[in-house]
Amino acid sequence: MQRLYVHPLPVRIWHWINALGFVTMIVTGIQIRYIGLLDLFSFRTAVILHNWIGFVLIANFFVWLLFYMFSDKIRVYHPELSPIKHFRASFRQMMFYGYGIFRGQPNPHHVSVYHKFNSMQSMTYQIIMLLLVPLQFYTGVLLWDVKRFTGMIDMLGGVRVVDTAHVLIFIFFAGFIFIHPYLATLGHTRLAHFKAMFTGYEEIEDETTGH
Amino acid sequence: MVISRGKLKMSVTTFSASLAIAARLALAALVLAAASLTAQAADSPLSKQDKECLECHATKGLEKKLANGEMLSLHVDGSGFAKSVHSMIGCAVCHREIAVDDHPPLKKKISSLRDNSIELTKVCFTCHSGVFKLYKNSIHATLVREGDSAAPLCTDCHSPHTVMAKAAYDAKTGAPCSNCHFGIQKAYAASVHGQASLGCSSCHNAHDVSATTAEDKLKNACFGCHSDVLQAHQTWLPNAERHFEAVSCPACHVPGAKRKVDLRLFSNEKQQRISEQAGVPQFVGRARSADGKEKGLSAVELQDLLREFNPAGTDQSKTTLRGRLEVSTGVEAHQLTEKSQAIRDCATCHQQGAAPFQSVTVSIIGPDGRPLRHEANKEVLNSPLSVEAVGGFYVIGGTRIKLLDILLVLALLGGVSVPIGHLTLTWLFKRNAKRIGGEEDS
Repeated sequence: MQRLYVHPLPVRIWHWINALGFVTMIVTGIQIRYIGLLDLFSFRTAVILHNWIGFVLIANFFVWLLFYMFSDKIRVYHPELSPIKHFRASFRQMMFYGYGIFRGQPNPHHVSVYHKFNSMQSMTYQIIMLLLVPLQFYTGVLLWDVKRFTGMIDMLGGVRVVDTAHVLIFIFFAGFIFIHPYLATLGHTRLAHFKAMFTGYEEIEDETTGH
Repeated sequence: MVISRGKLKMSVTTFSASLAIAARLALAALVLAAASLTAQAADSPLSKQDKECLECHATKGLEKKLANGEMLSLHVDGSGFAKSVHSMIGCAVCHREIAVDDHPPLKKKISSLRDNSIELTKVCFTCHSGVFKLYKNSIHATLVREGDSAAPLCTDCHSPHTVMAKAAYDAKTGAPCSNCHFGIQKAYAASVHGQASLGCSSCHNAHDVSATTAEDKLKNACFGCHSDVLQAHQTWLPNAERHFEAVSCPACHVPGAKRKVDLRLFSNEKQQRISEQAGVPQFVGRARSADGKEKGLSAVELQDLLREFNPAGTDQSKTTLRGRLEVSTGVEAHQLTEKSQAIRDCATCHQQGAAPFQSVTVSIIGPDGRPLRHEANKEVLNSPLSVEAVGGFYVIGGTRIKLLDILLVLALLGGVSVPIGHLTLTWLFKRNAKRIGGEEDS
């Protein structure tokens, strides 16, 4: 087994703060929106927690952004520009997770320091980090103080448009927060990827056969 | 009645009589200019002229039948007049059209009590021009102009013959406002402001009374005394400023009220509520024709109505709806309580099916300044179309769109079922693999 250092410390710190933060944001978000159906804490407490953690996550985002902007590791987020290559790689990956993995076949993606995401991961994470998360922060800040940002909100079509965007992205993350940890268990052991996100080292199987 | 006086005056030339009246007018004007506005009316002795008038008019029961059959009282309480602030100007200044040598009887025909009052009150403004500026745009003056016979003129609140400075309002009974607004007076007397003996004019202004729900004037009246409320609310209320914008003060400070939502047609261009022009009625007719089943505007009908105000080809965001949560009646709006009794439970509104969202109206400011309203279905607040039509009014949790809830359930189901499904398949394949000697899962 080879050990590859793929998750630098800033990335690991950022990841776990995000993990805890996202879960709390989802839970407080549900308490705010579904006050009649849930009674974990008061509406007001939920709003205050949601606001505070929201700002922590915004700061956390900049930890991620600044690290990658000033590091050569940014390459892990470079998109695959050739659509054919990307489609082929994604298809192969989907076939692995949908069938090959049950038959004990090897993962077609090989983790390396500058290529740690498989093609499905890389596309999803790009969309999440560069579109969905910034949009969620943006709409969240607008909703945090509607009066202060009235001009911007009106330009976007009104507070309902802003809130609907915020809720739609919340819905996506509510699904994501189950699927992401599950996919993380699909390493060579169930806990392999979790360990890696703590220690920074992925354990890579030696290649005995050609790929 | 003295008849001979007429004969006596006949001996003086008409010119001298007019001169005497003109001189009195000039003197009166000088006296008024010099006197302070809050001058206490001492028991000033009445002029000789006034005493002559009172020789007849002090008679109790003196009255005149008008063209419509009503009886106009001609009795004036002399001592009351002497005590009043008008005693120094005398009879002739207001009753200028009456020539002393020329009546009784009055040459001019008076058609009704109301018409008489309307005519006579015109003279008030010749001295009280400042008040006229305030009164002329008020809802009271507008109603008078529209021919509303119940709308108050000067003489309905200020008795002209016994008028004292700033003494029209009686804090105990709420008169003269309560003469018409008796329901409100009853509610108000028990409220925290009524108990503090604050008069109606403290909030509504005495002369430039405007239609209360049409503008922010009344809200600003609250802030006029309660100037630090925003900071006080910000200590515990998230988005406090937004609440101040979208929720009326009584909506929380009258805990027992029936709350409702009013969606106001709003011009984004001019950043103010839309008013109808007199003679160009559009709202009532359009609202009625948009309301197909006449059960209140549905979400689609509301969107159609909004589009009528934004003709095709123009900027679709020109006219929007701005919602405001308010209490249902004027009486409720006056039942303000101690602040400890105000609503602080967020769930009162931020909950699906909350009471305030059961009753919705759409409104525009009518030509007389009062809002014109049309019923809307409560579904207009929750439907997916509301994102466009009611884009400016949203209560988190309370007016949420059900479709998004369905999407959330689907997302959660998907999120849970994908791992479960995948694990199940893993287990099934393992069992199979063991049986047929296939590759193990790593």
